[in-house]
Amino acid sequence: MGYAAARGGLDAILAAEELMRAKRDGGSSPPLGIEQVTERLNLAVDRVMGEAALWAPQLAAVALRQAEGDLIEAAHLLRAYRSTRPRLVPALPVHADELEILRRIVPAYRVPPGPQLLGRTLDYVGRLLDVGAAPTAPARTVPAPAEPEASGARADGDTRRPGRLLDLLRSQGMVRDRRRGDDPEPHDVTKDPVRPGAPRSARLSIMARAETGALVNLWYRNILGPDGYIHEVTLGEVRHGRLPVRVTHPVTGQPVSIGSVRVTEVEAIEDLDGADEERGLFDVGYGLCLGHNERKAIAMANLDIAVERDGGRSPLEQSVLMTTDGLDASGFLEHLKLPHYVTFRSMVDRKAAIRAAARQRAADVKQ
Amino acid sequence: MTVKDLAASAALEEFAHLDEQSKREIRSALLTAVAVPGYQVPFASREMPVARGWGSGGLQVTLALIGPDDTVKVIDQGDDAGVNAANLRRLIVASSGAADTTDAREASIVQTRHRIPEDPLGPDQVLVLQVPVPEPLRGVERDMRELRRMHAEADYSAIWLSLYEDLVRNGVITQSTGYPVLVGGRYVMATSPVPRWDVPKLHQAEFLSLFGAGREKRVYAVPPYTDVEPLAFEDVAFEVERTEGASCLLCGAVDAYLVEVPASQGWICSDTDWCARRRPDEPPDGTAGRQLVSEGPEVADARV
Repeated sequence: MGYAAARGGLDAILAAEELMRAKRDGGSSPPLGIEQVTERLNLAVDRVMGEAALWAPQLAAVALRQAEGDLIEAAHLLRAYRSTRPRLVPALPVHADELEILRRIVPAYRVPPGPQLLGRTLDYVGRLLDVGAAPTAPARTVPAPAEPEASGARADGDTRRPGRLLDLLRSQGMVRDRRRGDDPEPHDVTKDPVRPGAPRSARLSIMARAETGALVNLWYRNILGPDGYIHEVTLGEVRHGRLPVRVTHPVTGQPVSIGSVRVTEVEAIEDLDGADEERGLFDVGYGLCLGHNERKAIAMANLDIAVERDGGRSPLEQSVLMTTDGLDASGFLEHLKLPHYVTFRSMVDRKAAIRAAARQRAADVKQ
Repeated sequence: MTVKDLAASAALEEFAHLDEQSKREIRSALLTAVAVPGYQVPFASREMPVARGWGSGGLQVTLALIGPDDTVKVIDQGDDAGVNAANLRRLIVASSGAADTTDAREASIVQTRHRIPEDPLGPDQVLVLQVPVPEPLRGVERDMRELRRMHAEADYSAIWLSLYEDLVRNGVITQSTGYPVLVGGRYVMATSPVPRWDVPKLHQAEFLSLFGAGREKRVYAVPPYTDVEPLAFEDVAFEVERTEGASCLLCGAVDAYLVEVPASQGWICSDTDWCARRRPDEPPDGTAGRQLVSEGPEVADARV
């Protein structure tokens, strides 16, 4: 026997799969091309790559299409794919100063060192629903800024790799120096699970993979919610740009650039105002995630410095490390749909036992 | 080796889904778990093709253990035909080539959610339990640093106190499933959650039990012939689920874990295969049980 008795469940899930496929791949419009997704829905692609922690625009687009636009589902597909792939070569560390900016703003100064480069942003575009005809490629009214080549050619000299505000503050001795010489290898959160008391590299990795909405919510909870208070920081840098990916060449042993990734980088300048803190100094929180996702990087930088300042006094670090992963939270939430009749029967049993015990007590009191 | 060779090897489908390095890491964590019974061993939980909370931990344990000669049984709530059990089974079987069975006596690996089969398992069998919440003390302490300290120092006073308060307030201990147990006289451990009915099966068991919590990235184990004692007071016995007069509508069993069927005002066995084998005259496809419990149209026939 064996198989026959287990057939009912399998038939049902095969039918459910078929229903999913029929609606997704059927319909009257032409199938969605991968290039359409990477070009027209590029912010969704970036977000999926960030939450999946894998730079792979084409695969992310395939995942988004397969997931019918469900971002968490797409991130899950991409991460599950990633976990079947062996790790061939670790990339070499790159300094974030190598970031070739496509956009950079420094809210802390009117005229910071280096450019204020608005770049591509919806920040100042009116949120007016465009219900007119389908969009077409616009006639250029302003000359398009020359986008730097991924190879690293500098279109505008050093203005594409400006210094950062932090350097200015450091040169003025205004920032708490937390740089360390004994810098260990970054904690790989996909190999060693993290627990509270984790090194900063683990905290930053966790947040780089976290769900955008979870970070935004955790930040806002601590601004307006009941369970804590974190500062509104002043942003020192908000950058979007390209970072090179380098590996050691297997033959020559020399570093070789094999491509680039786009990242969003944020530095959050924190006013140290606690009684036991160095009041004469600022500190800095850091955020960096794959793709163009400023919301996420800002929340990340703010939470990074908040955890640092908290120093394990409140549950904030545990919240950051343990509750912001989109796949963990969504998967566990949705598991409530699984059958629970074995556990529920056990609960009903206890309810009956409590009621019987109460009746017995009442009877004992009467006697 | 050239870059081309590396790329080619990366393109191959891995046996049992995970790459070999991942499986080695999981096996290594499992060996630690067996060496320190009841201790929660952190492991690098991989993202699986099933969602976190849907058996991703149990699945990783099974895939790390399985070979093509194994025979696997997968149940959810005791039912081989549960949709999630069916999904996990097809992943395991398709990626490993192992055989599948619904008969617990034939299986070398039994992966389960919320139950331990009614058939006694033997020394050649491994029970893999899916675990949503591996921390038995979470109900009494939320802070993870403090939890580590409590386990390290075997400071279990808080959970004992909570059981005592429970008893004083309610007249009984109200913990339903996942009943806390002391393993090997050292670590307090969460039992999966299986019903209390199944907890005694772990004590001095002939078989190896491996617990996988994928979302929380922990594995733990009860090796064969290990003491597993439910936390209970000397003068208040540990109670399993029982309803006076209840018996299975299908096979008549009294001494099995029964679940209620309100529509029929009765009970049926949760272990569907064990129940079916007690009714040899019926077709062994489980249809009798399904008809009894189904409400409305079959799921497979639903159309939107």
